[in-house]
This record gives sequence, C-alpha cells and structure tokens, in this order.
Amino acid sequence: MTVSLPQFLQAHRDEMLAEWLAEWSSSSAVGLAATSSTAQTRHVMQTLFDEILSQLMVAPQDPPPGLDEHAPLCKHLRHLAAEQARHPEVATDPMRMMFSLRHLLLRHVSTWIREAGTTPVAEHLVQVNRYFDQIALFVFNNIINLRDRHISEQSLSLMELSTPVLRLWHRILLLPLVGIIDTGRARQVTDHLLEAIARHEARVTVIDLTGVPIIDTSVAQHIMKTIDAARLLGSRVVLTGISPEGAQTLTKLGIRFGDVICRATLRAGIAEALLIIGKRITAMEDQAR
Amino acid sequence: MTEPRPPARFAIGNSSDIVTARQAARALSAHLGFGKAHQTRLATAVSELTRNVIQYAGEGSCLIEDLSDDQERVIRISIEDHGPGIPNLPLAMEDGFSTSGGLGAGLPGARRLVDDFHVSSAPGLTRVVIAIRKPA
Repeated sequence: MTVSLPQFLQAHRDEMLAEWLAEWSSSSAVGLAATSSTAQTRHVMQTLFDEILSQLMVAPQDPPPGLDEHAPLCKHLRHLAAEQARHPEVATDPMRMMFSLRHLLLRHVSTWIREAGTTPVAEHLVQVNRYFDQIALFVFNNIINLRDRHISEQSLSLMELSTPVLRLWHRILLLPLVGIIDTGRARQVTDHLLEAIARHEARVTVIDLTGVPIIDTSVAQHIMKTIDAARLLGSRVVLTGISPEGAQTLTKLGIRFGDVICRATLRAGIAEALLIIGKRITAMEDQAR
Repeated sequence: MTEPRPPARFAIGNSSDIVTARQAARALSAHLGFGKAHQTRLATAVSELTRNVIQYAGEGSCLIEDLSDDQERVIRISIEDHGPGIPNLPLAMEDGFSTSGGLGAGLPGARRLVDDFHVSSAPGLTRVVIAIRKPA
C-alpha cells in the first residue's frame, strides 16, 4: 500500500513550510522580508501555504485544482499584491515567492512519484504547474491593476495641482503654465481661466509660459484658443516667458500670435497689465509718512 | 573626438512618447555641443513630426542617430509610420494647409526648423528624415 499524494503532502507539510520560509528569508535580504516585519511575512506565507496545499490535496476523482475568484486564497493573494504595491522596489517579490513555492512542491511531488512508483507521473506535475500558472497570473493581474490605478490617480492629482489661476491684483489674473500642454490639460486650463475671468471681471490676464518646455504648433494652437476665449469675456491677454530660442522656433514654424501683447519676462508683463488698468508700482514717498 | 552614441529607437504611440523622443533628441544635441536654439528647434521638429504620427497614423517609430564625423556634427532623426500616408504631399508642405483643423504649420514649419528634410509618403509607409548639422 503506497501513500497517496494528499497523504504524502500532509506528512511533509511542516517540513515543506519550514523549507519555504528558510529559502525565502535567505533569498531576499531586501524585499518584502525587509520591508514588512519578518513575523508578519511568516504569517502571510503560512496562510498562503495552507490554502495552496489544501487545493492540491484533492482526491484523484475530484476535478483538478483550480483558482476560484472567491476562494480565501484569492483574498490573500490580493492582499499580497496590495502589500507589494506600496513598495514598488520589490515588484517581483510576490511572483518570486510563488515560483519558489512551486519549485519546492514540484520537487516534493517528484519525490513522492519516485517512492510511490505510480504510473501517471506527468499528470500530477502538470496539474501542479497549471495551478501555479493560474496563481501567478492572478497575482500579476492584481499588481498591474493596482499600479494602473495608482498611476491614473497620480495623473489626476497632478492635473488638479497644475492649473492654478492666480488673482494678481484687482481685475488682473495670472495663469502660469507649467509642463506639457496636451488637449486634456488645455481644456482644463481654459475652463479654469474663463471661470476666474467671469468671477473676478478681470480686465487683463497674464499667461506665463516660462515653464512650458516646448511650444510646437499644437501647444501654440491650444494657447491661441485660450486667448481667444479670454478675449470674448472682455479680458486682454499679456503673454510672457517665451525664451529667445522659443521665439526663434515659433517664427520658423510660422506661428504668429497676431495682436497679442507679448513681454519677455513676467515682470514686464505685470507692469504692462497694471498699465492697462491704469495703475503703477511706485516707491513710497516721504509725504505719506 | 568622442565616440558617436549608438542609435536609439523609440516607439511612438501616445503623447508621453512624444515627450520621451524629443527629450532624447534635445539631450543628444546638447551632448554634441549644439546651441540652445538648435536644441529647441530640433526638439520642436521632433515634437511636430511625432505628433503627426499619433494624429494621422496612431503609432510609429522614431530613430535618433548620431552621424558625426571629424568634419561635422550630424544628428539624423527618422520618423516612420504605417498609416494611410499623406494624400497630397505638395499641398501638405504648404503653410496653412491642414486636414485636421490644426494650424497647418507642422510639416512646413518642421522643414524650416532643421537643416535637412526629406519626406516620402505612400499608403502604408510614411517616412520623414530630418537632420541638423554643424562644423565640428
């Protein structure tokens, strides 16, 4: 009477778990082992180990081990992926963890096959392999999804941050543009600006381009449309911060900003804006005490 | 003379690829000692042409090569796509012509920004090769 695979695995459970934990902690000086506390990692691994093993301990007549979306194992794997997402420098750790367990289990299953001398040798190995493929795919998908969500959250918050419309003075607004102006951002900038012009009844808007790395035709077109819209609301536009090489490039491209008032620096632009509303900055005089 | 940098190829598929490609072009021109105006003009030309790729063909590639020798510094950039092609090339090279509601300054503008400019286009392969050069 030879032992069945579940019996064999059950008998070697503690030994395999210890081996896996030892292998893991020695192979990862940095990584999950270092970032989360060792005891915590051990606990997570033990839970995963038991869940995975319980799936493998099916009787031959049962369906082969598979991954069920709602099984507790999936919950633990999601947790593992979430844990990893917080430490992007150890991106491959959950996968490595799973692969090392697969390696270990395959080794033990092979030992059992040798001892038991059963004939459908390959079948067991294929099953274990297939099961781990599913696990790996599941973990990988989870990590990717988390990353994607993280990235889209970041770009959203960046968008929110990057389009402030500042009230420079009574009826003067300042719109400092920084970074890459694509269609989405251009629309958002225009929305913010028009709303602010209407709210403050701005006579002048200073648009500063110092922080725009490249002004090509697409960017220029976006800026022109913003300027046109601002004019329709009765605000004049002063364009500042085009670099000397930027100016040269724009003329080579054949882009004309028509009758827009341009000033080289923000300082000159602010002076011009004040002039338009009939104010100026002067030194304090003595008579004012 | 320093060793020429190995050619670099960039896939162009979305607007962040435009930024990557033009930054690489700018970095190489700065490395080879081109002035700031030259750098900006090259980066802008790359920006125009790669944006065309995305707008009209969806995706393509951008190859940046350092062809400098003892006499002169040369950067050649080849931008390719497999889109529908430019139906009327002479018309597309005219200022103010655009099929997409743009300014119509991209292609003719890019030609004025660089020293060499070659464009060939047929359905399935559009290739624009630009270069900037200066004496070593």
